[in-house]
Amino acid sequence: MSEGNNNAAPAPVQPRDQVLRVFSRYPSALLLLVVFSVEVGVGMFVIRDVRTASVEAQQMYARSVLGLRQIGELQYQAQETRRSTLYALTTNDSNLQVEYADQSREADRRVTEGIAEYLKQARMPNEIEVGRGLQRDWSAYLKVRDEVLASILEGSIKEAVDMDLNGGVPSFERVRQDLEDVKRLYDQQASDQLARVGASSRRSVVRLVGVVCFTLIFATFSVWAIQRSRMLGAVQFARLQMEFVTSISHELRTPLAVIRSAAENIADGVVGGKEQLARYGSVIRNQSRQITDLVNEILLFASTRNRNNRYTMRLLQVSEIIDVAMENTAELVREAGFMVERHVEPDLPCIIGDLSALSHCLQNLIGNAVKYSAQTRWICIRALLDEARIPGNREIQIAVQDRGIGVDKSELPHLFEPFYRSPAVASAQIHGTGLGLPLARSIAEAMNGRLTVESKLGVGSTFTLHLPAAKQKQPLAAAGARGRDAVAQK
Amino acid sequence: MGRWLILGVAASCLLGVSNSRARAGSTAPNDVKPSEENLAIVVNTSNPVDNLSMSELRKVFLGERRHWPNGRRITLVMMEPGQPERKTLIREVCQMNESDFSQHFLHGVFTGEVFVSPKTLASPVGVRKFIFNVPGAIGYVRVTDLDSSVKVLRVDGHLPDDKEYSLHIPPAPAQDQ
Repeated sequence: MSEGNNNAAPAPVQPRDQVLRVFSRYPSALLLLVVFSVEVGVGMFVIRDVRTASVEAQQMYARSVLGLRQIGELQYQAQETRRSTLYALTTNDSNLQVEYADQSREADRRVTEGIAEYLKQARMPNEIEVGRGLQRDWSAYLKVRDEVLASILEGSIKEAVDMDLNGGVPSFERVRQDLEDVKRLYDQQASDQLARVGASSRRSVVRLVGVVCFTLIFATFSVWAIQRSRMLGAVQFARLQMEFVTSISHELRTPLAVIRSAAENIADGVVGGKEQLARYGSVIRNQSRQITDLVNEILLFASTRNRNNRYTMRLLQVSEIIDVAMENTAELVREAGFMVERHVEPDLPCIIGDLSALSHCLQNLIGNAVKYSAQTRWICIRALLDEARIPGNREIQIAVQDRGIGVDKSELPHLFEPFYRSPAVASAQIHGTGLGLPLARSIAEAMNGRLTVESKLGVGSTFTLHLPAAKQKQPLAAAGARGRDAVAQK
Repeated sequence: MGRWLILGVAASCLLGVSNSRARAGSTAPNDVKPSEENLAIVVNTSNPVDNLSMSELRKVFLGERRHWPNGRRITLVMMEPGQPERKTLIREVCQMNESDFSQHFLHGVFTGEVFVSPKTLASPVGVRKFIFNVPGAIGYVRVTDLDSSVKVLRVDGHLPDDKEYSLHIPPAPAQDQ
């Protein structure tokens, strides 16, 4: 056992806590939610990946088409420049020659623009180098072309032909070679790009397969975990039920044995005298009452579990609840020789609840304190007002404190589970059903409150019932009416 | 002797007429009618020549000069016969009529006195484009047909926008006359 003040420090229930409480009750739903979320995330990832690959492919296609068009246009216009120049050689009509010269210049302008555009788009050093080479060679060819055109227009055909053969043909051949280089470079880049897209596509497929495999494994594991959790829960529940039956049988056997023994003594005439007979009768009555109380507790727990319990909600004084609980446990406390301290703050506000249920809840807590405080024989009941941590929500706290054996920290989370019994108390032959605390918590929650525990092994425990205080100006009748409404809704 | 006298009188009469025309052109440039347009002499933009006197211009257009100062061969660009621009150039620069001009070139080419044969183009746009393509070309267009593809030469130091500029295209006669 470690330090005290273990979990469940009194605090208002936050929405987050309520959500966590719901999730703790439905782990399978939570797991399925996680699986669903993972599936959605994976789906989005896959869609994004596929879209990226698709965009890459589209861009590559667009670049391919655009690049092919650019190169084709460059080649065509370069040929057109030369062709128009040569056409001018075929006529003596100056008007036609001028027209051909004009066509040649128009084509040459397009080539120059195309080269400039290519250089503008070029990013790689080899692209820029090839582009500049093309620009240089094209300018050189244009100089020759201009001279050839001038000679043709002047009428010096022979001179023009010589100039074209000696200068125009080699320079245009260099231009053509440059264009081939551009095309080759482009083909190489397209191949690289295609390889990259292919690699990207393969990566996408691998990722997709990996993600699908992971999802399948995760989903399978989740289903297995859910099934196993349910199975373990069922096994645990069956074990607890078996223990419960054993415990109940044990609880019933002792008083029944006492009753049977007393009855046999009476029947056999062993009991003599009126006084002895009265003592036997008292024993039988007490044992019968114990059995009746036990059966009532079981039935009450069953009714709270089935949510079919009906409470009569009304405004209650805190002292009234404590009085009833102490009165009902007075005999038990007296017989056990316990001293009970009672500290109730004056002028506590009322609460809305069912008197019988709340007093039963307190009785369970007092009964536990008696049961697990054999040596010290001291119980303290406190009632106080906790000014709300959330403005407007004041809270009444009724605490039952003992100096008994306490509870180990590891057992605290299970303390309110139905049929749960601490191994320590079971081995110590302390009888119980494991229903008292779950029943008390069910009642507290039905009254819009909660039940918390602070405990330290070997020092003692304090169970605190937290109940919301009624509004100050709440009329009694109205509160009673709302209480009935609340009953109807439950 | 009498024949020489008659020739002398005739020559002096012709000179007198031409001088009077020249005087009229130089002293009264403002006589250009508003409907008249000036004729611009244009060359390739690479041509270093900026100014020609009327006599130099006449030599050029009569094919008596072969090269420009930069060594480029001179190429004459004329518009087709009948065009007002051509008529003006032949009349004002060459001081001939169409048949004399044609005769001059036929004779000159035959005798070797003329070194350049003019290229004939149908439109001012053709003239401009020709001159743009041929560094040694010279031609003429109306001022309204000018653009930046060609260079305008000064004639006797005057640009076509100047009042003293001497090449004017007379307005076309009315069609019903």
